[in-house]
Amino acid sequence: MKNPVIAASGTFGFGIEYEEYFDPTILGGVSSKGLTLRPSRGNAGIRVWETPMGMLNSIGLENPGVEHFVSHEALEMRKLGCAVIANLGGHSEEDYVTGAEMLNGCDIDILELNISCPNVKSGGMAFGTDPDQAADITSKVKAVTRHPLMVKLTPNAGDIVAVARACEEAGADGLSLINTVLGMAIDVRAEKAVFNNVYAGLSGPAIMPIALRMVHQVAHAVSIPVSGLGGISTAEDAIAFIMAGASTVQVGATTFRDPMAMVNIIKGLEEYAEKKSLKNIQDIRGIV
Amino acid sequence: MALIIDNKKLTDGIYLMRVSSNIQAPRPGQFVMLRPEGDGLFLARPISVMDWENGVWTFLYKVVGKGTEAMSRLESRDDIFMFGPMGNGFGRVLPLEKIRKAVLIGGGMGIAPMYGLAKALRKTGAHVKIHLGFTDEPILRKEFSDVADELVINVGGYVTDDVRFEQGPVYFACGPDPMMKAAARKAREAGAELIVSLESRMACGMGACLGCTIDTTKGSKRVCKDGPCFRYEEVTGLGK
Repeated sequence: MKNPVIAASGTFGFGIEYEEYFDPTILGGVSSKGLTLRPSRGNAGIRVWETPMGMLNSIGLENPGVEHFVSHEALEMRKLGCAVIANLGGHSEEDYVTGAEMLNGCDIDILELNISCPNVKSGGMAFGTDPDQAADITSKVKAVTRHPLMVKLTPNAGDIVAVARACEEAGADGLSLINTVLGMAIDVRAEKAVFNNVYAGLSGPAIMPIALRMVHQVAHAVSIPVSGLGGISTAEDAIAFIMAGASTVQVGATTFRDPMAMVNIIKGLEEYAEKKSLKNIQDIRGIV
Repeated sequence: MALIIDNKKLTDGIYLMRVSSNIQAPRPGQFVMLRPEGDGLFLARPISVMDWENGVWTFLYKVVGKGTEAMSRLESRDDIFMFGPMGNGFGRVLPLEKIRKAVLIGGGMGIAPMYGLAKALRKTGAHVKIHLGFTDEPILRKEFSDVADELVINVGGYVTDDVRFEQGPVYFACGPDPMMKAAARKAREAGAELIVSLESRMACGMGACLGCTIDTTKGSKRVCKDGPCFRYEEVTGLGK
């Protein structure tokens, strides 16, 4: 990768939505919208809700399905000129394994296994909260995929370090964390939950200290690369994640706030490396 | 970055804000994302463009939440974060220059996009009739009469009650849900051509977050990127 900045899954479509604003070639990589085996319409009702310096979402993995991705979106993503990551979610073990097998048919750089989506009714995050289940799904997908496997972890696990270690032992080539924090909003006037699913995923700068702490804990507990995300909105935030032990960083909700955020982060990282006379930004990885 | 020229209160909770910005000129029916700085707001708000003239943008908005409340406090020369223009605009649904006679129906804040549309249609020589609906006090009567061949204002009733739908003219509607449903029903009964502009909660405005997805006869569509302008018969809930 030409730099460590990746557009986080679910915040950058399949890479073409922002082309009017900047050339995605400048990015280190793009992670696709979360894919499921079959096409999904996503959740009904309100899907996004602003919170203090953040947002709740309950999109529910609206996506065209793995088969369509392999024959359409993956081909488009390959043209982006940066690392292509396919993010795969699922409702059952079979979904994940079959989806991973089908993704062997396309040219991607990394498979990001999403065992952390809080917005689907069955499966999703359930696989990521328990170390045994996380290890089981990781080893089964690892056994069938030809792509490097990065497992995306949820902060809603009781012990994220235990889940991280279990995934590493099960054969994960890397980890990404954190997915959204389970949250809630109530419409006080209507006296009911804002979201049809009641709970939803919180992202944005509001969750950054939690994400940073978890990346720090996990990066110190495993020896595989960690991709850090959760509320990164400036180059300084990205540097903090790298100092905490992240090899790459992902930018998510902040792109909604400012379409140019990743461009500014990449520029800021270059300026920082120059100012500190670093040959490589990785020289500061894990120094805290 | 964009600069507030002025931000005038027209009536209770309703403001007309002019902003200077040299970003790309909009097409009628497009919107921008606006975020007042320094109020702890995380997301920008999708606001319809009422008018554009040489880098001066006019927005009509009503205070309905934290974002618009912060917007209402902005003063001349304040900065506002702005990006866009977004969306397809009316002309991407139907080429405006082909329209000879148009009937524009706006309710509440839905009157905003009708202003820019009327101006554009008048430039191509079309006959433009505008119907505006208000709950209580009518606003911008003079401004709208300047861009209309005929202007009909309804206060306190249903604006669609005043509109005779027939084949021939092209109808455009933007406004609250009940108004849109009534317009769709009358268009269907008359076999009239109707293009609607929809409103939705959005995070990005770019087609990436999928926060504004609606059901249509052509599958799921994003109000921000595939819309906000649609043929009414495509939109589930309006079409049938």
